[in-house]
Amino acid sequence: MKLRKSEKDDVAILRLSGKLMGGPDADVVQDSVRQYLNDGYKKLLLDLGDVSWVNSTGLGILIASHITVTNAGSTLKLMRVSRRIDSILMVTKLNTIFEVYDSEEAAVASFGHKPTSEENKTS
Amino acid sequence: MTSGGSQSGERSATSVFSGDEFSFSMPSRLEYLSVIDKLVEGIIEACEIDEEPGIALATSVIEACTNAIQHGHKHDPSKFFSCRFEFASDRITVTVTDSGAGFDLDKVLVSDPTGPEGIMKSRGRGIFIMKTMMDEVDFSTGDPTGTVVHLVKFLTDGPGSGPGV
Repeated sequence: MKLRKSEKDDVAILRLSGKLMGGPDADVVQDSVRQYLNDGYKKLLLDLGDVSWVNSTGLGILIASHITVTNAGSTLKLMRVSRRIDSILMVTKLNTIFEVYDSEEAAVASFGHKPTSEENKTS
Repeated sequence: MTSGGSQSGERSATSVFSGDEFSFSMPSRLEYLSVIDKLVEGIIEACEIDEEPGIALATSVIEACTNAIQHGHKHDPSKFFSCRFEFASDRITVTVTDSGAGFDLDKVLVSDPTGPEGIMKSRGRGIFIMKTMMDEVDFSTGDPTGTVVHLVKFLTDGPGSGPGV
């Protein structure tokens, strides 16, 4: 699994790719989540658009991240999950824990996106 | 392409491999899960398995192999787990075997990972996922015999065809 980080205004986005299956993946995700929390971010998104599959250990990584973020008084949401990942979220009922969005636009908007001053100028 | 034994005369999903079986063994490294998933993906494509049973098969095989690597062999790459694929006209059976210390199946089955106490736990979903997504799942587990998991997915409509995802 690989992880890239980006930010859209006050939303931190962690873009995962490959397979989420445990081992070192857990530390990679948790370290990045904690870094964003330490930097003061309250709104975090996990982009699973380039993750081909998740096993039960990978689900554990998502849950651990959710707990870390929630305990910090922040919010973690998922976006761009594949049909296969959506199935495992439904079977395990984790779709009742995670808010899941089809697109980045919808996910960011769900946080109550505040337009930047540049966006305000062009709107 | 003709029927692989279906009485209705329609081509069954697995007719291309019906009657075939093969097995292989691999060192207990999580990285091999990707290799196994590609194999299952190829089987799904060759057998023209629909999306939902295909997802159920791929997900459950990965879970069984994950358990063998993590719990059976504790990530010890010197220990090999095996996978066996058997194709019939109406079903695929996958058997995953490890040589670990086994586990207390009753203890695992009694916990509900979707309930209020279990849903936020980071572990303990693998067997639940297999039992929910596959049509038949049975375990034989013990020390020093290890664990054998049989997974069955029916691929045609009719008697014995269980629910999908």
